[in-house]
Amino acid sequence: MSESLQVDNLQVSTIAREKVEDLCRLNGEPNWLKEKRLSAWESYLQCPMPTVKDEDWRATLVGKLDLGKLCPAAPLKEGKTASTPDLLKAALKDLAKPGAVYVEDYARGQMSVSVEAELSTAKVVVSPFAQAVESHKDVLEKLFAEKRGIQDKFTLMNEALAGGGLFVHVPKNTRVEAPVVMMLNLPENSTAATKDPSGLAVFPRIIINVEENASINFVSIVASEKTAEATETVLAASVVEFHIAAGAKVSVAEVTNLGPEVFFVNRVRAYVARDAVIDFTTAGLGGKQTKSDIETILMDRGAHAAVKGVVFGGGAERYAYNTIAEHAAPDTTSNINFRVALKDKSASIYQGIVKVDKVAQRTDAYQSNKNLLLGKEAKADSIPKLEILADDVKCSHGATVSPVDKEQLFYLTCRGLTAPEAEELIVTGFFQQVLDTIPIQGVVNFLAALTSDKLHKS
Amino acid sequence: MTAQKPILEIVDLHVNVEDKEILKGVNLTIKAGEIHAIMGRNGSGKSTLSYTVMGHPRYKVTSGKMLYKGEEISQMSPDERAKLGIALAFQYPVAIPGVSVSNFLRKTTNACRGREIPVKEFRQELKALMAKLGVKDEFLSRYVNDGFSGGEKKRLEILQLSLLKPSLAVLDETDSGLDIDALKTVSEGVNAMVSPETAILLITHYQRMLDYVQPDFVHVFQDGKIITSGGKELALELESRGYEWVKDTTVNQTVSV
Ligand SMILES: Nc1ncnc2c1ncn2[C@@H]1O[C@H](COP(=O)(O)OP(=O)(O)O)[C@@H](O)[C@H]1O
Ligand SMILES: [Mg+2]
Repeated sequence: MSESLQVDNLQVSTIAREKVEDLCRLNGEPNWLKEKRLSAWESYLQCPMPTVKDEDWRATLVGKLDLGKLCPAAPLKEGKTASTPDLLKAALKDLAKPGAVYVEDYARGQMSVSVEAELSTAKVVVSPFAQAVESHKDVLEKLFAEKRGIQDKFTLMNEALAGGGLFVHVPKNTRVEAPVVMMLNLPENSTAATKDPSGLAVFPRIIINVEENASINFVSIVASEKTAEATETVLAASVVEFHIAAGAKVSVAEVTNLGPEVFFVNRVRAYVARDAVIDFTTAGLGGKQTKSDIETILMDRGAHAAVKGVVFGGGAERYAYNTIAEHAAPDTTSNINFRVALKDKSASIYQGIVKVDKVAQRTDAYQSNKNLLLGKEAKADSIPKLEILADDVKCSHGATVSPVDKEQLFYLTCRGLTAPEAEELIVTGFFQQVLDTIPIQGVVNFLAALTSDKLHKS
Repeated sequence: MTAQKPILEIVDLHVNVEDKEILKGVNLTIKAGEIHAIMGRNGSGKSTLSYTVMGHPRYKVTSGKMLYKGEEISQMSPDERAKLGIALAFQYPVAIPGVSVSNFLRKTTNACRGREIPVKEFRQELKALMAKLGVKDEFLSRYVNDGFSGGEKKRLEILQLSLLKPSLAVLDETDSGLDIDALKTVSEGVNAMVSPETAILLITHYQRMLDYVQPDFVHVFQDGKIITSGGKELALELESRGYEWVKDTTVNQTVSV
């Protein structure tokens, strides 16, 4: 079947308005939110489904999603589940004592949130999004007014159907070291599909608001688990926003470790104010199709964005990461470092855009993307783009796609390592260079263990 | 020394790199307990010989023999050779970014010794060697050869060989890039590897390292083979009279045979 034929089918198949209304009713949401959702839903209808022909979406599998069959997940009941997802357990073992743990577990049908006293006394808010809509209406309405950032079919879908998700608020001058950990656990498609199973879709919206001179560490884990009940398609389409006020700093480590049939569409937006910093690392370690756009908008002098990626593909997994570093003010800096290693038939496309607005003189932007091909059938693309309107800027970029270096292999085998052991060490080092820059204590070990697991998974 | 068994025997070895013949009939026998030096101009094929002994996949043996302790090794992979006790200190050590020196040393030592050395025991052994070789502690957390100075790389090579304890150590221009003090420390490290069971092949381009590490034999390499051999006095002759002089002697020798 041709790709375009599938895409055509999708134009008619869409998420129905009733699903938005059901959601509002189930959540008992205020009118203003319902209005907002419905207006987003209208825009969603107008917005064409991206196709492989769209530059931003090329080489992705979103065309294979049957939107008409997708059912937004019902709100989760709050409560402690009998068991903790393995990945969360592993994370909590490696991380220094977390400040808060928020779990949204669709595999077990429950959610929970626990906040340490240290954070509560400091008036740090870590709240399920649905509750925050009531308790922090004013802040949220203000944040919603921020219209910068790219909108597409999936962000609109998220806006219309957002369920679950998290709101974090860090007041002025409050520096929190203990990380806020969020886990999103999805059920995984099992092959023993029942007759005409419907698909499950979750639309988390995560908003992290950090006031002047405050700081926070945020760890996000998106994973999936096999469950008894079969679902045909599982989609998580999340929107994650960081509002970082003057002098504030946010460090983020995000990992997606999804099963081979789960779709993940993610949009990260960071609004970075004067002298504020975002240090963002994403690790893509599994999923049918991961499509993630990471937008950092440097809005005032001295703002800095460090965006790092560690992507390790295997099987037939596909990854499409876009980084958009927008310099919207003078004297701003960005540093992007994306590393991709691909086994088997996995594929990745990385597009990195550096946008320098006319006013953004003395921008200093660096972008690097290295791809390591481990499988003979693996495929990596790297597309750097510069859109520079200012004239006094320093922008550079570099991209490589190559198999494992033969001289490195020889050197290591001369020291007694077998060829596979040598390759393993080279891949480990390839990622380690990025992991070593993560400022959140314990995350390095957690992610190094995950990449090592993936290395051994055949 | 006469009763010793050969560690390395190379007989009429021919080697191609990308279909070009580089080694053109090398003959060399090194017995246990001996130190041999190979000297020769740049491009004469010294590194090619060292890579071939180690089994670099790009260097193809087209004819001849290469025996290690009586066993033909040309078909073996580099790691098999390493595990048998052959080690090369590279002329140009390769960087492995992202891999810390300590992790690397532990993994490679375990691999070559064929057993997991307890962490504590390994640490002690390593610390002692580092002190001897003047390697600072902070070295351990750096990435292997990444951003190292020439001298630092060479020190790390010798540190590795000291840990791996090979029966046959090939040192390819370990002296280049070292200042006098470093040369002295590194040479002491090399001398510490000498034993009645080990053989050392020292490739160099100057004779200055030979002041510290005294060779039993010196061979002159030219155009892919050894053209003359002698005792350590040959190195001094070379130093004062240059390689041109050797050419002449070979001619004379050939005549006199
Ligand atoms: N990988 C290679 N590819 C092509 N030519 C090579 C390669 N390695 C060595 N050579 C050639 O072989 C010859 C000997 O080189 P080498 O063994 O490095 O000499 P030396 O170590 O004595 O300076 C040189 O002419 C060099 O150009
Ligand atoms: Mg050489």
